[in-house]
Amino acid sequence: MSDDAVFEFLHSELINYIISQNEGKSKEGKDEDLSNIEYIGFSTGYRIIERLTKEMPRFKDELDTMKFICTDFWSALYKKQIDNLRTNHQGVYVLQDNSFRFLTKLSSGKQYLEVAPRFVAFTCGIIRGSLANLGIGCLVTAEVQNMPSCKFHIQVQRT
Amino acid sequence: MAVCVAIIGKDNSPKYFCCLNPDEELGFQYKVLSSLDVVEEKLNTTNKGTNDLRELYLGMLYSLETHKIYGYVTNTKIKFIIVVDSTNMALRDNEIRSMFRKLHSEYADIVCNPFYIPGDAICSKSFDVNVKNIMTGTV
Amino acid sequence: MRSSVSYILSSSTSEPNMSHPDYEQYSHDHAALLVLIRHIGSQLKPKTFVKFYDRISKLTSVRITDSTGNVRTILVRYVKEHPVENNDWGDFQTHRRLLGLISLGKYDSQQELNEICRVHESLKVKYTSTLFDSRCILFGPTKEGGSSSDTSTSSPNSDSSGSPAEQTIEKFTTPSNFKTRGLFYDEAAPCSDLETQIVEFINSLFWVLESKRLERSREKLERVSLLLAPFEKKDFVGLDMESRNNKKKCTGRMTKHLGDLCLQAGLLAESLTYYGNAADTLKTVNDWLWLGAAYEGLCAASALVLYPEMQRSVPLQRNASLQEGSSPKKTVVVSSIDVGARKASIPNTLAPEDISKRYREAIIHYSKYQNAGIVETEASFKAARIAVEQNHSLQAASFLQNVVYINLTLSEQEKIQRFETLAELYTQIGFTRKAAFCQRLAATRYVSPQNPAPNWNRCYNLMLQSLPGHRLSLDPAEMREVEQGWPVLQIQLLQELVVAAKRMGHSALATRHMTFLLQTMWSHLTPTEQKELCIQLQALSSQCEGSPVPLVLDNGIVIPPANLTNIPLCHSYVLRNLQPHLQPRKIQAVKQDTGPFLFTPIHFGSLDRRSTGSQSKMGFLWVENEPCEVTLKLSNPLPFELKVSDMRLLTSGVVFESLPETVVLSPSGSPPSVITLHGTPRESEGQLQLQGYSTHTLGVKSNCRLRHMAGFPPHYEVEIVPSLPLLDVKTSLPQSSTFSSFHDYENVVTSASVSLHHGESAECTVTITNIGHVDVEMLEITMQTVLEPGLQEQMFTWSKENLLSQLPLKPGCAASLTLYLYAAGSFLVPGGTANEFSSGVFSSSISGPGSLPSRLNSPSSSFHRNVNSSFRSSNSGHSSMSATLQLPQLPINQQAAAVVEGQLQIRYSGGPGLQAAYCRCCSVFLTMETVPSLHVTNWDVLPAETNTQFYLVLDVANLTSQEMELQYTPSKTMLIEGHESCRVPVPVKRCPLSKLDTGENLASGDLDRICSEHIANLVDLRWHLLGTDTRGKASLKGITLTNDMLDEVRMSPLLWEVVINEDAVRPQEEVTCEAGDCLELKILVTNSLDKVLNHLSLSVQFYQDYENGTVNYRMETRLATTGTTKKIMEELEPQGRAQHECNVIFFTPGQYKIDIQCSSPDNATTVPCLPSNGHVWRFTPPVNVLVN
Repeated sequence: MSDDAVFEFLHSELINYIISQNEGKSKEGKDEDLSNIEYIGFSTGYRIIERLTKEMPRFKDELDTMKFICTDFWSALYKKQIDNLRTNHQGVYVLQDNSFRFLTKLSSGKQYLEVAPRFVAFTCGIIRGSLANLGIGCLVTAEVQNMPSCKFHIQVQRT
Repeated sequence: MAVCVAIIGKDNSPKYFCCLNPDEELGFQYKVLSSLDVVEEKLNTTNKGTNDLRELYLGMLYSLETHKIYGYVTNTKIKFIIVVDSTNMALRDNEIRSMFRKLHSEYADIVCNPFYIPGDAICSKSFDVNVKNIMTGTV
Repeated sequence: MRSSVSYILSSSTSEPNMSHPDYEQYSHDHAALLVLIRHIGSQLKPKTFVKFYDRISKLTSVRITDSTGNVRTILVRYVKEHPVENNDWGDFQTHRRLLGLISLGKYDSQQELNEICRVHESLKVKYTSTLFDSRCILFGPTKEGGSSSDTSTSSPNSDSSGSPAEQTIEKFTTPSNFKTRGLFYDEAAPCSDLETQIVEFINSLFWVLESKRLERSREKLERVSLLLAPFEKKDFVGLDMESRNNKKKCTGRMTKHLGDLCLQAGLLAESLTYYGNAADTLKTVNDWLWLGAAYEGLCAASALVLYPEMQRSVPLQRNASLQEGSSPKKTVVVSSIDVGARKASIPNTLAPEDISKRYREAIIHYSKYQNAGIVETEASFKAARIAVEQNHSLQAASFLQNVVYINLTLSEQEKIQRFETLAELYTQIGFTRKAAFCQRLAATRYVSPQNPAPNWNRCYNLMLQSLPGHRLSLDPAEMREVEQGWPVLQIQLLQELVVAAKRMGHSALATRHMTFLLQTMWSHLTPTEQKELCIQLQALSSQCEGSPVPLVLDNGIVIPPANLTNIPLCHSYVLRNLQPHLQPRKIQAVKQDTGPFLFTPIHFGSLDRRSTGSQSKMGFLWVENEPCEVTLKLSNPLPFELKVSDMRLLTSGVVFESLPETVVLSPSGSPPSVITLHGTPRESEGQLQLQGYSTHTLGVKSNCRLRHMAGFPPHYEVEIVPSLPLLDVKTSLPQSSTFSSFHDYENVVTSASVSLHHGESAECTVTITNIGHVDVEMLEITMQTVLEPGLQEQMFTWSKENLLSQLPLKPGCAASLTLYLYAAGSFLVPGGTANEFSSGVFSSSISGPGSLPSRLNSPSSSFHRNVNSSFRSSNSGHSSMSATLQLPQLPINQQAAAVVEGQLQIRYSGGPGLQAAYCRCCSVFLTMETVPSLHVTNWDVLPAETNTQFYLVLDVANLTSQEMELQYTPSKTMLIEGHESCRVPVPVKRCPLSKLDTGENLASGDLDRICSEHIANLVDLRWHLLGTDTRGKASLKGITLTNDMLDEVRMSPLLWEVVINEDAVRPQEEVTCEAGDCLELKILVTNSLDKVLNHLSLSVQFYQDYENGTVNYRMETRLATTGTTKKIMEELEPQGRAQHECNVIFFTPGQYKIDIQCSSPDNATTVPCLPSNGHVWRFTPPVNVLVN
């Protein structure tokens, strides 16, 4: 039980730290700050996937990998699964989590909608890193319309 | 009892190579390099939908006169190769599999090391010691 | 895969059996008739032979109708050579028998023809055991015109119908013992019926075969003799020939043989049946060798059914340069539907998977026999080819893997061929690494010690081909991007390549490859290896120097250049700006046109970030034909000293001449050395791009380009300005020791310093020499100081015209400029210091009348300094000069020496640089130390004897420590001791009223100013220091005057004339009389203005001056006057004269003074030069009367 809380606290402190660091620099735009957080997430995801897929059989294809992300991976990280996975079979996937763990602690209304992106940047990085290590290069963005649900858009980059 | 262990990265360049007998290293490097071809072939042919594909363990890749080469590919496309002396008949499939599992967990540990950048060569003394233990079967 | 049962039935292999494996066999060859095409004689050119060979070999399948009307497809295989021993295996596998022979030869004479026929016959004899038929294709001499292509005739008739004219055309005949059919052709002719002939030949072969087959098939199986493989002959000695096993063996073997024959004859179905039966039979008796053969036959036949298209690819071009760039993995997969259909069409056909299985079994059986090595090898290859066709790469790989383990005694060439074939097949299945491995092995075999004819050339070529398999590319630029491959192996391979190149004799290649190794594998080598390889490189390059040009091999392969950028390692590459005084500047500062907007926060044309401009474009300029520098930091990674010679800059764009440098770098571990490379641009009008530098080290020349080195931009760009002149400046004054913190003193080239007293002038000659190559056409000199412009101009002057007249300045010539320096200072220091006057000392000798009454008034304002010095002022007009004055302290800096610094800026340009609007700027730093010379501490105005002059009395203080001679009038001088002061009266003409009359109302300040200007202009003080013989001037500019002084300075508007007792009174003259005498006083006043003066009141007063500051006007008891002492004049016309008379009698003796004054009231007069408030004019000096 206590492990979850520790992770959440660490995550929110991490965001706090990065934001405050960036305020010292320039006020150019908030968009830049999140790249640091996203990179931390990328690095984490890249490494953790090695551990998590140790016992798993090999993935057949891309869709299989996505399903793994939605189920086992999400459970391992956030103790629940993704509620909805949609794809257009052309490399775009949308993962919807109706009560995203980091957002559930904030009030569900319009009040914190603006700062919600900060809390999902880390997770975007995690997804991107995990997929990168599995051999799928992609671009991950997140969209928060109603707190606390969150949609992750994954666009696979085909080279 | 393995004589040689190699970890090959996603781009097929060696990340880690360890031989019990350093003199034979060059020869083993050649053998392992050739076995990569077989690994790739096996990975490609899994499209045919046989059952083997669900396993990470690839089985025996090559049987040379004096050595046997076994392969194992993780989901992240990292390849482990173990070369075993042919004369050692005692080693069975299960033992090889367990060696690979231990190797995989060692590798997972080292990847989680924040100072290790995935893609570089692995130079860690504790990793060396652990791998040598796995190879000699003292773990 | 090999059987673990070691060789059974093996005996020592003393018999030569099939010592030449045929690596090119396909399984379809089992069904083919073997035909040998031989080249006989030396007349036929190889090219022609090859041409015909290709033509004939295109006939691989022939459709023949057999006796029953079925059409059979007969396959034919053509070979160029065939060892006789292989025929011995014909019983075992019939396709190994040579069935047909075609020989090609050319002849020019009958002898040659005979010879060819003879050789052909001998060949026939050689293969006689198996040969069915043969043909001999003979190419006659080429005849012009005449019909040379004749149809085939068995023996051309002798020339019966030859006319005498045809006797020159010889007809050749084959010798009489020639039993073969000869086909006569002309090699140049199209030979259209060649194919037909060959088909007919094949037909004949077929019929023979068919007859043999039928014959065999009719034999009773029970009574056949045992077929044997060559080595089995002695195995069966002494065995019971009648046992059941044996019988079964016989049957089985014969069945298999029949199968072979059927296969060759085109009867696939029967052959399959036969093979099947044979296999069953032989399996029961464990006759493994033949069982294997039966299996193989089965597989071959099935393959023929399932994959009839599989055949060897005919090489399109026999080009020597085209090595086995074999086709990539076959992507053509026979669709399973076709396969299934085909399988169903002929019964007993094996399924595709079964083919591999059976082949495997066959090979295992073969492996049990040591002598069956070649068969096994060939079988492995055939099986691999089938697997390739089926697209089973893993299976193919396993078959190929088996090949290497077959123990055969092969010649080196055969071994090499084996590896090459393996490599080709591996490449076909996509196992590039394994293929590269085999190629490398083949290469080593070429030069192994056992090889009697080592061929380093081929070895090298093979190794070169194996490079891509090891992920090595010969272009270092490519290697840098892709980090793949196994470094240890790559290093090994490259070292072997170097050795091969060296042994091949191509030392340039060896050097090139070693350079490449060091360049690309540097980071993977250990330090010892690095050192060793460097030493090796030095040894190699001593034979042939490496240079950065591509090398082209004979077979057309181009080896790109490899440059050593790691040795030495460059850490920084910085372009140096020219020195400030050499930098070109724009003559006109370009005004940036930003459009009508003053400020826009939006930057058009840029993305989210403002680009700060590429960092590779330098912000400074270089000048054509002048040396420029680039500074490099190099470090040496090797543990020994490294000599790097001939270092130059690599540039593109403008023509640039680079000077070579040589440097010796100390071993690794020491800090990087800084090296400066010099060069000169020889062209202008453009950008110079610096791409890198070139080095010559370890015997290898390299062009190190920045774009290939990490951490540098691709190139640096500098703009080159057309050539400008160069000036050298010298001054005649000594240089100053320090520069103060003056702004912008970087372009100071020289300095000059001088120390002057205030008022002293000096000259400085500035010599400007043109030390460049361009004429100086523009030369501008400006002076920059912190002083006010007016003062600056006073202090520093020069003649501009003089300078311009010396242009244009040719190279080598000098121009000189005289700079006039004048130390301006303020000489007027009201008050001086307490030191000066505390003693109240005045210089003794004052020329001129003694103690002058002075009016010492405080000046209304002080000049330059806010010093309020107050003098004891007295309005009474009596004061003594010797009164002690209380003076306040003055600021210290008045006394100290002041240093004036200035920069003489010289801007010059000429030639093409001027046309491009660039100039150069250098400057001379001037230091002028000004030492005070003298100060005028007090001044006063005294009336002179005449009306037109007045005396300006100055207190002059000598601030120097030397004796000073002051010349205050052209004829009078005064000596002042050091640090002493004296008083000098300077006679000055009074300011004429014309100066004052400007037609308007003057403010009081203006009056002051005009008068002071007047004084300053007229007074010329020159001082001369006797000790150092320095001369100078002192100026009274800025002298301030009070109103009373002004009265004296300017010409009084009223001219006085006082007459006492008919004697005109002269100034300073004393009038004496007795007490009781009557003095008649007549006063005449003339208005010298040209305006009317109104309301003037004239008054006469008598007083006594006690000389101690008090005056006494109360003279009632002492004197009496008659007539009025006051008179009012209403109007005084211009030039008008008024007169007043009165008398006075003194009662008591004493000294009296008469004060005569004329005043105007307070009302403003319209006189411009008079102040608007009331003014009083006095007759000065007051008249002295001495009464006895």
